[in-house]
Amino acid sequence: MSRPVKVYVVDNGGQWTHRIWRVLREIGCETKIIPNTTPVGEIDADALVLSGGAPRIAWESPKLGCCTDYLDHFHGPILGVCVGLQLLAVHFGGQAGPSEVPEYGLSRLKVIEGDDLFRGLPKEFLVWESHNDEVKTVPNFTVLAMSENCRIQAVKHFEKPLYGVQFHPEVNNTEHGEEIYRNFVNVIKSR
Amino acid sequence: MFDAEKFIEEAVEELSRRIKGKAVIGISGGVDSTTAAILVHRAIGENLRCVLVDTGYMRKNEIENNEKMLTKLGLSVLVIDAKERFYEKLKGAVDPEQKRKIIGELFIRVFEEVAAKENVKFFVQGTIAPDWIESGGGLRDRIKSHHNVGGLPEKIEFEIVEPLRDLYKDEVRVIGCKLGLPPEIYERQPFPGPGLAVRILGEANPESVKIAREACAIVEEEIEKAVKNSEMSRPWQYFAVLLPCKTVGVHGDVRVYGAVVAVRAVESLDGMSAAYSKIPHDVLERISVRITNALKDEVSRVVFDITNKPPGTIEYE
Repeated sequence: MSRPVKVYVVDNGGQWTHRIWRVLREIGCETKIIPNTTPVGEIDADALVLSGGAPRIAWESPKLGCCTDYLDHFHGPILGVCVGLQLLAVHFGGQAGPSEVPEYGLSRLKVIEGDDLFRGLPKEFLVWESHNDEVKTVPNFTVLAMSENCRIQAVKHFEKPLYGVQFHPEVNNTEHGEEIYRNFVNVIKSR
Repeated sequence: MFDAEKFIEEAVEELSRRIKGKAVIGISGGVDSTTAAILVHRAIGENLRCVLVDTGYMRKNEIENNEKMLTKLGLSVLVIDAKERFYEKLKGAVDPEQKRKIIGELFIRVFEEVAAKENVKFFVQGTIAPDWIESGGGLRDRIKSHHNVGGLPEKIEFEIVEPLRDLYKDEVRVIGCKLGLPPEIYERQPFPGPGLAVRILGEANPESVKIAREACAIVEEEIEKAVKNSEMSRPWQYFAVLLPCKTVGVHGDVRVYGAVVAVRAVESLDGMSAAYSKIPHDVLERISVRITNALKDEVSRVVFDITNKPPGTIEYE
């Protein structure tokens, strides 16, 4: 692809939705923030990032608008962040709900599978978290990373170009965050 | 990639197209409002009037210093002393959101009075991204009502212009630098619009302001001295907070019962996440000794805040 990759940020009402937009812009993507009620047919992007947000996965998923439509009908790669990851898991047959030990702020990420999202990154590094809920089970996905208090920190679908992260790579305090988004963009470009 | 020069060019063009006639800007002398003022000044020149409100919650000597500095930049500055109005309205207010809303509304009323007198239809604010993000709306939860967004009253008599709305502090600093602001301004640490009122937990009255103002000045002085002496690097933000509780102490064999001051210092890029600053203990000790001595009748204990954002926010309210 010679033109910039077009990655839109689906706004689920997160504190860091606009940060995702900023990081994507900084790594050279064409990007904009779209409401999560945007019909999938109107989205002309190459890929999507589903932002985090305050909705609780177990009882507020209607607030996530058309996100499940995107998972079924959007043609390109999708990265779900925080509640975006939780929705991925639930939509494809997994479970998510209140965390046994919620994580806020600093946490140490342990990478299990260094492919795709974590290509070229250390096995362990510091990330920023902010979640009340977590993924409990995630069939059809490979777990790529974990932390001490949360077993499922990053996933990749067995076949589809669907990824999810529980932590927030768009937050400036997260180490290697921008590289994770670059790796996601490389996934888009390699298709 | 963020292109500051292109941003400036487009912003000035857009502002000259949009603002017809005169405009008023609410200015504090901080990075955001001063940068916004310079942009608008480039667009409409002498038609911009800068209003600096003395809320009674500014830091030590801040109003005088900022008035001088802004005038030196070629801006036309009007200082309005609204101290008594702010103190009066905030009497008895202890809820953080209620305090922010009272302050937001009073700011606007003061600006409206100026606008009416000078027949101005446009009101400029130095709002940046975290202000509207944290103020919430729609799906987004309200973390705190920033005085210039969530603290605004519903009925407003003029059109609001916010040229920096999509930027974060670090980007505004780059723009400020490119616009030729001196480093004292574009490198200045953030200071909240409601000022010391949100660094006093509980009622922000003239007595508690004195304590918070002095404690903040000591924290700033000691940290800046330590930075100068290469004992530490300058944190992104550093200040004192007056807590609403008292603890026991001893002064010259006599029992005292005084307030607690928290020292807060954080490292951040954009204020949307932050880690607490690992300040050397020697520096913390100097701060503690100075505060408990200089404010001996009011403060008997100093603590250091070791909370990151999240879960804490940088300011306390």
